[in-house]
Amino acid sequence: MTDPKQRITEAEAIEQAKQGHEAAFEVLYHLHKRRVYSLCLRMVSNPAQAEDLAQEAFLQLFRKISTFRGESAFSTWLHRMTVNVVLMQLRKKGLPVVSLEETLDADDEAPRKEFGTKDVRLTGSIDRLQLQRAIDRLPPGYRTVFVLHDIEGFEHNEIAEIVGCSIGNSKSQLHKARLKLRDYLKFMRAEKAKTG
Amino acid sequence: MTCSDVQRVLPELLDGAPDGAFQTDFDTHVKSCPACSELVSDLKLISSEARQLAATEEPAPRVWVRIAAELRAEGLIREPQSAPTRPILIPTSPRRRWSAWWLVPVAAALLAAGSYVVSHKPAPQVAKQQAPATSVTSAVPETPAVTSPSVPTSAPQQLAQKSAQPTDIVGPAVGPAVEPAPSAEDQQFLSVVSTRAPSMRATYENQLQAVNADIRETQAYVDRNPGDADARQHLMDAYQQKALLYQIALDRIQ
Repeated sequence: MTDPKQRITEAEAIEQAKQGHEAAFEVLYHLHKRRVYSLCLRMVSNPAQAEDLAQEAFLQLFRKISTFRGESAFSTWLHRMTVNVVLMQLRKKGLPVVSLEETLDADDEAPRKEFGTKDVRLTGSIDRLQLQRAIDRLPPGYRTVFVLHDIEGFEHNEIAEIVGCSIGNSKSQLHKARLKLRDYLKFMRAEKAKTG
Repeated sequence: MTCSDVQRVLPELLDGAPDGAFQTDFDTHVKSCPACSELVSDLKLISSEARQLAATEEPAPRVWVRIAAELRAEGLIREPQSAPTRPILIPTSPRRRWSAWWLVPVAAALLAAGSYVVSHKPAPQVAKQQAPATSVTSAVPETPAVTSPSVPTSAPQQLAQKSAQPTDIVGPAVGPAVEPAPSAEDQQFLSVVSTRAPSMRATYENQLQAVNADIRETQAYVDRNPGDADARQHLMDAYQQKALLYQIALDRIQ
């Protein structure tokens, strides 16, 4: 197996990958595999499915690599492709995927708040498993922006380019995602307190 | 500043740079309002805790193994001395020029069909009933979008029209999933691959099945949801993948 150590720059790897050099493909893969896989995993919460999606994203990218002209950052291009692959997979599974340009005002997906959640506080740390479960409940559009910003650390201008929305919309969707997560987490804590 | 004002400016102020116009009022209100103070604190906590979920896992080594195997099988990984020095679509050997030249307009027709489907948004009732036939068969351009100067236009037009027939790539999913028979063009493509590079036939056959299934499923979704621009773009990407498959094969079997 080719030594995956990065001895060439990303730009050099891209040019060599266009020529079909296996080592170049491998460099690009190892440079971005964690973030791509993490994005997939946070979106589908299934390691096997996340691997399949990550594989598909990389394959689609590598097939198109000869068309990459550097208009945007390579990682932005890759993550845009990853988001598209994941969201299309969710669509095929029948999950509603609302365009990020739409404003979701309905609160029908949030748990009912009247069962004691007013008195529940999110002090201290948040259980990681509970947080992942709450993220799983987010609508795919909200989930995408939240994962990209708060988990993966992308800035709003990058998210806007990745998902094809405005910066303002990205901020708005992130805020709504956090509000929904707050509701979910409070509900989980309230339920846990009831059951003891 | 009221609680409603805090809710309105939170998306801008929570993560972004302090805005002098609102920041002072915002800070003053939050300090004095328990509800808003708790809200801001909770949202910051969620954001900071979420960072712990950042990329700590790696995909299993088998993922790269599968990717590399697929890239090799598709001819995207090549030995340096055999790297192409010519544009993919121009054949080099006159003796073999006519063996697979028809793949060029077929690949171009696939791209054109995909572009037409993405750019022309049908009415819902039309989309459900007629979109597959009208959106694909009428997408064939008078001249292919990408051609080699040496490729005549009359015969490719006929083949491109046939390749654009939605025999294997359209139709909403109804009933049990049955793999449709390959189109005449796909069969001809596989026949040429079998003749020129028999060891590659299984690979390309599997890839064609996968990409045709993706096109079918995505087309079915687009027919049901014609307003979903992202899905239409994905359909375009799927057509591009199929066109790439033809182009890669053309390059490989010349």
